[in-house]
Amino acid sequence: MGLLLLLGLFALCVAIGVPVAFALGIAAISAFAFEGLPLMIGFQRIISGINVFSLMAIPFFIFAGELMFHGGIAMRLVRFASAAVGAVRGGLGIVNVFSSMLFGGISGSAVADISALGSILVPVMKEKGYDADYAVNVTVTSSIAGIIIPPSHNMIIFAIAAGGGISISKLFLAGVVPGMLMCLCLAVAAYLVAVKRGYSAEAFPGWSALAFAFFGAIPGLLTAVIIVGGVLSGVFTVTESGAFGAIYAFLVTLLVYRSITWENFKIAVRQSVRTTSMVMILIACAGAFAYMLTFYRVPDKTVDLLTGLTDNPIMILLMINLALLVLGMIMDMAALILICTPIFLPVANSLGVDPYQFGMILLVNLGLGLCTPPVGSCLFVGCAVGKLPMEKAVRTIWPFYLAIFVALMLITFVPAISLTLPGLLDP
Amino acid sequence: MTPVDKLLDAIATACRVLTGLSLVILTVIFGWLVFGRYVLNATPTWVEQAALLLVMTIAFIGAAVGVHENAHLSVSVFRGLVPAPVRTAFVIVTDLAMAGFGGLMLVYGAKLTAFKWGSMIPLIQLPEGLRSLPLTIGGGLILLFSLAHLTRLALRRDLRRDTIE
Amino acid sequence: AEWRGWNIHVEGYPNTVAMDKFAELVEEKTGGEISLQMFHGGTLGSQPDAIEQVRLGGLEIGNFNLGPIGPIAAEANVVSLPFIFKDVPHMFRVLNGEGGEMIAKGMEAKGLIPLAWYDAGARSFYNGAKPINAPEDVAGMKVRVMNNDLYSGMIAELGGNPSPMAFAEVYQALKTGVVDGAENNWPSYESTGHFEVAGYYSLSQHLIIPECVCINADAYNALSDEQKAAVKEAAMESAELQQQLWAEREATSRKMVEEAGVVTNEIADKGPFQEAMVPVYEAYLEANADLRPLVELIQATE
Ligand code: NA
Ligand code: NA
Repeated sequence: MGLLLLLGLFALCVAIGVPVAFALGIAAISAFAFEGLPLMIGFQRIISGINVFSLMAIPFFIFAGELMFHGGIAMRLVRFASAAVGAVRGGLGIVNVFSSMLFGGISGSAVADISALGSILVPVMKEKGYDADYAVNVTVTSSIAGIIIPPSHNMIIFAIAAGGGISISKLFLAGVVPGMLMCLCLAVAAYLVAVKRGYSAEAFPGWSALAFAFFGAIPGLLTAVIIVGGVLSGVFTVTESGAFGAIYAFLVTLLVYRSITWENFKIAVRQSVRTTSMVMILIACAGAFAYMLTFYRVPDKTVDLLTGLTDNPIMILLMINLALLVLGMIMDMAALILICTPIFLPVANSLGVDPYQFGMILLVNLGLGLCTPPVGSCLFVGCAVGKLPMEKAVRTIWPFYLAIFVALMLITFVPAISLTLPGLLDP
Repeated sequence: MTPVDKLLDAIATACRVLTGLSLVILTVIFGWLVFGRYVLNATPTWVEQAALLLVMTIAFIGAAVGVHENAHLSVSVFRGLVPAPVRTAFVIVTDLAMAGFGGLMLVYGAKLTAFKWGSMIPLIQLPEGLRSLPLTIGGGLILLFSLAHLTRLALRRDLRRDTIE
Repeated sequence: AEWRGWNIHVEGYPNTVAMDKFAELVEEKTGGEISLQMFHGGTLGSQPDAIEQVRLGGLEIGNFNLGPIGPIAAEANVVSLPFIFKDVPHMFRVLNGEGGEMIAKGMEAKGLIPLAWYDAGARSFYNGAKPINAPEDVAGMKVRVMNNDLYSGMIAELGGNPSPMAFAEVYQALKTGVVDGAENNWPSYESTGHFEVAGYYSLSQHLIIPECVCINADAYNALSDEQKAAVKEAAMESAELQQQLWAEREATSRKMVEEAGVVTNEIADKGPFQEAMVPVYEAYLEANADLRPLVELIQATE
């Protein structure tokens, strides 16, 4: 009864347009009241949702990404990518994927990736004779690489939702190969579609131009080296590395590139605060929601239900994938990580799936959800950047969905893809 | 713009300045933390707890500004599917729900703040109650901004706009 | 009545087994009038949050360490003074006497009633570089401590660099040298894998912090006298079981890490460590003058 109220009220609130974060909060607090629990505890859960030290890295990654965008680092990364792989058929499509690997890798936010790279690349692609739908499709789907390639604030959210016990550094390492694999699949799709549509290649700018673009991009690329390298070498904790990434990005754009102005800085701060507070309030309210899910023993019951249905691990993994995909289509990522992790992770554990691999499966699924209608913030932003109606973009996006799906199946059924690198961390 | 609208915008601006400053301070104190550990060999032990308070401020005050700017993630598909009068009803119910939730944040946040004021946060020796203060204030602001939106709607002057640059 | 209980430990841990036993005994001894549903693994929140939930009546029962109760009930913070207990048996002698009553009274004033005391062993230093035998060995070392001014004060007085850090980050931090050492009891040292990256365990036993089975004061006071006795009895019996399982677990963990190559050392003379704590005690007693009798009582307990 109470569980029905919790889930029903949440669905109702979302349907009438209450922001997802507050829908979670309203449903949770109502369930607290229904069960006669002190409401003060409900709000304690909301506060505790974000009173978590590891979360501190999130504002830093977001801030670093914004500074890189508004300070011109993003543009230099695109220039380098373009010089490096532009000469392939459908070159700019592959450049787009490659740029996402470099930039999205750092910011860890798919939407930031699209607004940063999309606003640079989509107009260029259109100008060079690529169709708008192709440009948008590549931009949208490749942006989710940033979620998988470290660092990634969504990974931190996953680590927290998993209830401690998960090392963020190991999670970061786990994402490297799956992220690159996904980019590879997307690049192949971008190439094949480009060939089919007869897009031409960029002229190779020559080795000196490539070297020049590379040197221009080095200070920007170093941001990723600082964040990931700092963590793995043990100079910093994850959180400190995020702060250093932001400080470094600021200094580079101020002193080396001299491209950040006071106005740009203010915009970067404001955008970072906006994104941070939106993510944080979501995590906060999801804290109260997850408390009630635990209260109703939903995770235990799901394990029983799924393992009672079949004892074939492949079937169960496929079912989890399907559930995540469907949920990802109608809801946004951070909220789903927070809701689904405590429910599905025990199931995966009971099947002997490593939590780090499960994290990758979850993130790729939900990432794919960001690119699908009806609710997909990446698709929305991508269409807005490309000035293209959503229906048009979606009509030709399937080769890219397919590419991600192939990557997803490989990640699901080949544990080594996710686990080899983090395994090196352990003796 | 009526004086009331101007006041609301002024409040929102003040919140933006506060949260923006919090982010910058947060970044700087972490720089100081690493500097302290490696250069001074004296880790400033207050940074962790102070940082948590700053993040709370960014989260809850920033969320209230998000309500003012209508910037939160929501699902609009269903609103688009229903006829106009139903849509208006959806908007009104949404604002009422938000106002109610903001009000509860205010009341129970204040209770929590009072409940915990007596004990101290370790290592910075500030009252534990400070932890729930941002939620309390943010709740009050959400109540205010949601009610203001309802009033504007009743007066058929919806000035709330998305200010994403 | 239907009660809910909180416990941070995982399945199979001594406390988890004992709390399940407690739930079983409560139901049995009250003839089914009271049932207790346990939530293990900290799924209902962190320890400070759960303490607050029990105080507010959202949960009835919790298995808490006295460390995080210290900021709420000053009497409970006394056990966080480094080297206050000589050893674990000494701690239990204090808790089962007048000292325990004084601590219980302080907690009761904050809405928490301790029903029985659990063992959490003694915490000792470990690091990756060398055995610690004297305060000089700690000097200059970055040591991870829990969030409490007494613990960071302790490291500072030993000449080290206290580094508060989220528990989940400690393994990586030890491995990569963000911190040089940390401190914990045998089972945690083993189960967290910290022994893999910090192979010197020095038996300083500087902190011996007990745990308790606590109940919300209103829930307890609403019981009939027979029910109160039954609940209390159930808690005491579970504590016996816990202490026995704890001892076994400590021995297993110690054996396991030593077989894995950990170098352990007894500290022949803890005197210099205790002397170094004088400023910590002085500052503490200056700020909490009313607790002097309790501290002296503990020190005087044989
Ligand atoms: Na990333
Ligand atoms: Na891209």
